[in-house]
Amino acid sequence: MSTPHVLLGLLAGGTKHGYELKRAHDERLPRARPLAFGQVYATLGRLQRDGLVTAAGQEREGGPDRTAYALTGAGHAALDRWLAEVEPPMPYVASTLFAKVLVALMVADVDRARSYLIAQRHAHTDRLRELTGIKTSATASLDDVVAVDFAIAHLDADLRWLHTTLERVADWHREVHS
Amino acid sequence: MRPGTLARLTLAGTRTDTARVALTALSAALATLAGLAALTVLAIPEVPGDEWAQAEQYSNSLLRGPGLRGGTAFALLLLTVPVLALAGQCARLGAPARDRRLAAFRLAGATPGQVTGIAVLETGVAALLGALVGLAVHLGGRELLDRPDANGRLALPTDVLPSTGALAAVVLGLPVLAAAATALLLRRVTTTPFGVVRRVRREQAPRPWPGLLIGAGLAAGLLALPMLRAGDGPDLAPPGWLLVLLVVGGVLAATLGVVLGAGWISFTSGRLLHRFGRGPAALLAARRLMADPWAGSRTFGALLAAVLFGAGAAAQRSALALSDRVQREEHRLFGVTDGANPFYLRTMDLVDLAVAVAVAIAAGGVLVAVVEGIVARRRAYAALLATGVPRGTLNGSIAWQALVPAVPAILVALTVGLLLGRGYAGRVQTGSISGTVCDAGPELCADPATRGRYLRTVEPVQRQLTPDVPLEQLALIGAGALAAVLVTVGVGLLFLRVSTAVEELRTT
Amino acid sequence: MTQLQARGVVKAYGPTPALRGITLDVAEGEIVAVSGPSGCGKSTLLHCLAGILRPDAGEVLWRGHRIDTWSEAARSRLRRTEFGVLFQFGQLVAELTAAENVALPLLLAGTGRREARTAALTWLERFGVAEVADVRPGQMSGGQQQRCATARALVTEPRVLFADEPTGALDTLAGEQVLTQLVRLAREQETAVVLVTHEPRIAAYADREVVLRDGMVDHTGLGLDAPLAGGRR
Repeated sequence: MSTPHVLLGLLAGGTKHGYELKRAHDERLPRARPLAFGQVYATLGRLQRDGLVTAAGQEREGGPDRTAYALTGAGHAALDRWLAEVEPPMPYVASTLFAKVLVALMVADVDRARSYLIAQRHAHTDRLRELTGIKTSATASLDDVVAVDFAIAHLDADLRWLHTTLERVADWHREVHS
Repeated sequence: MRPGTLARLTLAGTRTDTARVALTALSAALATLAGLAALTVLAIPEVPGDEWAQAEQYSNSLLRGPGLRGGTAFALLLLTVPVLALAGQCARLGAPARDRRLAAFRLAGATPGQVTGIAVLETGVAALLGALVGLAVHLGGRELLDRPDANGRLALPTDVLPSTGALAAVVLGLPVLAAAATALLLRRVTTTPFGVVRRVRREQAPRPWPGLLIGAGLAAGLLALPMLRAGDGPDLAPPGWLLVLLVVGGVLAATLGVVLGAGWISFTSGRLLHRFGRGPAALLAARRLMADPWAGSRTFGALLAAVLFGAGAAAQRSALALSDRVQREEHRLFGVTDGANPFYLRTMDLVDLAVAVAVAIAAGGVLVAVVEGIVARRRAYAALLATGVPRGTLNGSIAWQALVPAVPAILVALTVGLLLGRGYAGRVQTGSISGTVCDAGPELCADPATRGRYLRTVEPVQRQLTPDVPLEQLALIGAGALAAVLVTVGVGLLFLRVSTAVEELRTT
Repeated sequence: MTQLQARGVVKAYGPTPALRGITLDVAEGEIVAVSGPSGCGKSTLLHCLAGILRPDAGEVLWRGHRIDTWSEAARSRLRRTEFGVLFQFGQLVAELTAAENVALPLLLAGTGRREARTAALTWLERFGVAEVADVRPGQMSGGQQQRCATARALVTEPRVLFADEPTGALDTLAGEQVLTQLVRLAREQETAVVLVTHEPRIAAYADREVVLRDGMVDHTGLGLDAPLAGGRR
């Protein structure tokens, strides 16, 4: 996952405490799953072990131990490397959606696969409408719009696939069972 | 490409294409008729004898006099001008859609030659059919109208026929000419299949330069001609060719000036309408006039030329009427009473008839242009109607668009025609005859002894009279032209009704 | 509160049936998407609802009054005052500038020219195309043209906006921007929108989606061309 690199990226702007990192993460990626504190500290621990970040001082104000972290030279290099790397575009065709239809065709019949596809299509459509609503609200920031558009594009692609698969599911079933 | 394929692709058009083909054929037929009529007049054989020998087989003095025949033939040939203008308008009907279709053929892999072939075939065949119809009508009319009167004289030259070569030249030459013009106009489409997708409009506003042409024409008629005429005496008489050059050149320059000036008039009237007009109809019309001012020249060109000629003829008529009256009055001084000499006035009647025919044909051209303007915009009109723009607003905008430039342009054409006509007719000289009159009875006057006592010298005052402005006739011509425009607008609005069905929203 | 209703609307073009009995309600300020495959009757339904076409059978009601029996002049007035109409392309008057195009509905309503221009400029500004106010459509991009058309459709603050594939001729980003702004402004002035589209992503801008198939409301919400099992079409 990209969480370690996102944390490195956030630290590139300056030294931060674990708590500040979590807040910055949730703010920048408003539609991502919120980061748990435990995950922040675990990740920071691993980054520190690999020499990518370093503890830059401690404060103790009658509360828990608050350690500030800073990016090391190796950390900068790792971040650079990651940014320069092109992500492989869908190296394997694999998706739970896809797998579920295939399994339905194998173990059950066309109607089972079709009713799954229809239910999934409804769920996708509802989510698409929900996300579009966020985009059109008067208070939407560009952060929101860009994040939501990412999801919308994927949902839209899934929907197109669901749609065409619904049209072909009978033929597909015939092929699976031939 | 096989001929069958070529024919199939040629016929692949829409209703508008059918209309264009029909109108092309019609104008070819009209042009053939005018050309054949002129050739027939020219084919009347020269009567042996002196230069005043009359062709006695005709009752119509226009055909009898050898001097007038050439003029008659020329007038008939001039009638082909509005016909050709009509043909030009017809060629534009539905042209954008056809050009798109041809460009689509190009995109599908047709060579420029093949595409040109399709269009040329359409125009050429239509014009050939029209020319053949014209020939048939001419030959049929020749049989029908061949009715000698009691004295065995003919009203029309139904006894002669142009040579076969001349007939063939008209009937075949016209389609070839039409096809060549089509090929020329299609250069843009054939060079690139996308040639018609993006059209660059001439954004520059017209300038009033055509006014200079009008000025030159008027100067030739009003200043140069009288000066040359004033040069008295045989040695000072200007050479004939110079006079002809001045007359023909002046008329051509002024006519061209009026026709091209219509573009400036359209633009300027559009700008004034935009500034001072009220309501959406005026706004739409004003903007359309400003966006394509040359449409005014194209639309009204032939009509304005006809009006100009008509006004010139009216001025000639009033000069002829005045000189006839002066002549009769002076003859009366000598005791001779003759009736009005109808010859020249009857000639003018024929000229007026020709002008009326020209106005009618030109009105046909205006109609085609108005309809084309509506058909080309039918999608936008349909969309406007769908958004709730009242039909009356659209009708009003089309009427404004036609009338606002037409009224000043017709006035200009009338004025220029009148001035030219007066310039070329010149002023009427009185007192050109003088002599002696015997005031006594016939017996006394016959006797040489007594005659001398009753003799009186009559010398009418020499004066230059300016003919009246034939206001009535000018008004008639102007009203006629305006009525023609109104009728075409009316018919155009009918087209608007049928071409703005909501189905048009689906067409691209 | 329902303000626009279709009841059993039937419409055929010659022998081809386009709508075979459609019933549909549009509430005040509601955004309804009408979707389905090409040829399912979406556009025809929009034309019937907007009073552009008269249905062969059935009724169209506006605030409880049957408008399908009204004269063309009366329906035209209704479209001019209460409705806004937006098409895929080609609706701007080519000879008018953007500002004049947007001002046109106001001029038709009798607004003075200066006042109409001010309002038009405000609306062009809202759609981010104030810079083309004095440009003719021929010199604008497709996105700019469609923004002007949308501004024109909304300038009279209509009660219902009918939009027929309004982003069909635009690229994705331009389409998104036009629709986002359209939906925001429609919500702001509580204009109901009937949005005809064949794209799920566009239909998602609506509060509710009605799927048509073969001229009927498809309650399965599929709008498929292919026959379903059981032979129903």
